[in-house]
Amino acid sequence: MPRQAMQRRLPALVAAAGLAALSAVPAAGAASESALRSELEALKQRIKELERKLEARRQNERQTEEKLAELEKEVASAAEWKSPNTLIHMAGYADVGYTDARGASGTFDSVRFNPIVHYQYRDLVMLESELELKVTEDGETETGLEYLTIDLFLNDYVAIVAGKFLSPVGWFRQNIHPSWINRLPSAPAGFGHDQAAPNADVGLQVRGGFPAFGGFNRVTYAVYVGNGPTLEADGGEIEMIETPGLGSDTDGEKVVGGRLGVFLAQRRLELGVSGATGKVSVTKNAGASVSDGARGYRVLGADFTWRPWRLDLRGEYIRQEVDDLASSAYATEGGTWRAWYLQAAYRFRPTPWEVVARYADYDTPHDSKDLTQWALGVNYVFAANIVAKLAYEFNDNPNSGVAPSIDDRMLAQVAYGF
Amino acid sequence: MGNAMAKRKRSANRPAAGVAAAGLLLAAAAAWPPASRAEYPPKGDFARGARLWVLNCGRCHEARDPKELRDDQWITTLYHMRVRGGLTGQDVRDLYTFMERSN
Ligand code: HEC
Repeated sequence: MPRQAMQRRLPALVAAAGLAALSAVPAAGAASESALRSELEALKQRIKELERKLEARRQNERQTEEKLAELEKEVASAAEWKSPNTLIHMAGYADVGYTDARGASGTFDSVRFNPIVHYQYRDLVMLESELELKVTEDGETETGLEYLTIDLFLNDYVAIVAGKFLSPVGWFRQNIHPSWINRLPSAPAGFGHDQAAPNADVGLQVRGGFPAFGGFNRVTYAVYVGNGPTLEADGGEIEMIETPGLGSDTDGEKVVGGRLGVFLAQRRLELGVSGATGKVSVTKNAGASVSDGARGYRVLGADFTWRPWRLDLRGEYIRQEVDDLASSAYATEGGTWRAWYLQAAYRFRPTPWEVVARYADYDTPHDSKDLTQWALGVNYVFAANIVAKLAYEFNDNPNSGVAPSIDDRMLAQVAYGF
Repeated sequence: MGNAMAKRKRSANRPAAGVAAAGLLLAAAAAWPPASRAEYPPKGDFARGARLWVLNCGRCHEARDPKELRDDQWITTLYHMRVRGGLTGQDVRDLYTFMERSN
């Protein structure tokens, strides 16, 4: 350490310089001698002081070195979270809502918390899981497993997804329904749970995307095999196709399907077609568990997203169909559940205000459930993931003389995705 | 075993699904484990990442700000989005490189 050596030598140097200065002074009388002596004393004092300062400085340096070593240790442990093989991340969303339907009193009717947990092993495997916790009308808390999959990243273009997943058929249910994403507080008519659009399935999925048509354009795909839906019958008719993602397959026949999409990046346009086919059977009749023969099931969907300028235009068509089954003990006739919607949203950037309009049409084998719906809304976008929405829904039953299953209503919601 | 065989005979599409599933798992096993690296995800291209962010991250929802999350949180989020949006592995590496330097 040359600097320290220099510092140690400093007092000696100063003293030498002092003496040299003294010897250069010509000898004089007693008066000047005593003056010299006091000057020497002063110099000695100064040297002592310098030595003291130097010692203090050395002390300081030692302390700094110790502190530095400590800091280095802290930094090393602080950086640990950056490179573990397993990452853990919590995401999800929550929303609260208020509904004021015509002919009913306004109600705070929705409190929902959907935590998502991600565990990821390097860039190879990911576990993704979403729970849904919500307050029911009678104050209970309803719990559900929205999805749970283990995703294996096979290579850059293929991921295998196993478990319970949101149906890859259609677009709204898998990608738009979370409340911080959906620009309106409600799902379009026909796109709610157990309506025309399938919600989830349990099985195996292969999905991914690859570059096509040049530039940043992509073809995306998803293919799956799953347990498929189940049917609920009542009064000799099929009431609804249930797609909660069943952990059993009573008819023993799998459903296979998927979606093929094209994303034209420069045009900000995305198109998709999707479908599935297989067999389903009635497992519930008037609320009781039953078993029945298997019958054909098909679903077909088409969707688009186009975002020209500041507009956000979306639309989707979906159709689920079950075949007749003459031998059925509960419902010989099948039926078709069909729905489509078109939505336009416009954000007045850079302000936080957004307006949205949506038209939806839902057609089922049961006249009382058919619905045409206009929804108009105004949103205040606090951040990309936090939005307050106020909307009005005009609901009509297209069959003359039949009342709509939902009245016209005002909906307010605050949604937070995290 | 005999019971399983009888059940299998009842359905024509089940063996096909079974074979497809087995094939997939075999393919997965053959490719496993990919060469491990010290760093993951490996470095991508910042400029492509920025472009990909602009083009992709507003497809389904309002684009989220790179400053919103920490680096490690972006890794899990981007792999989540890869599965959702059919992004490629290279897309994710480029996006991560962009996110890492922008937050
Ligand atoms: C194909 C549609 C789609 C695309 C494209 C997409 N996202 Fe998402 N994103 C979603 C959905 C759906 C969710 C909500 C997940 C849920 O609730 O299950 C989500 C959630 C998120 C979240 C919340 C955390 C999480 O993991 O749930 C972040 C952050 C996010 N996306 C960022 C991005 C970024 C950055 C990009 C661009 C690389 C992107 N998204 C592209 C559909 C998409």
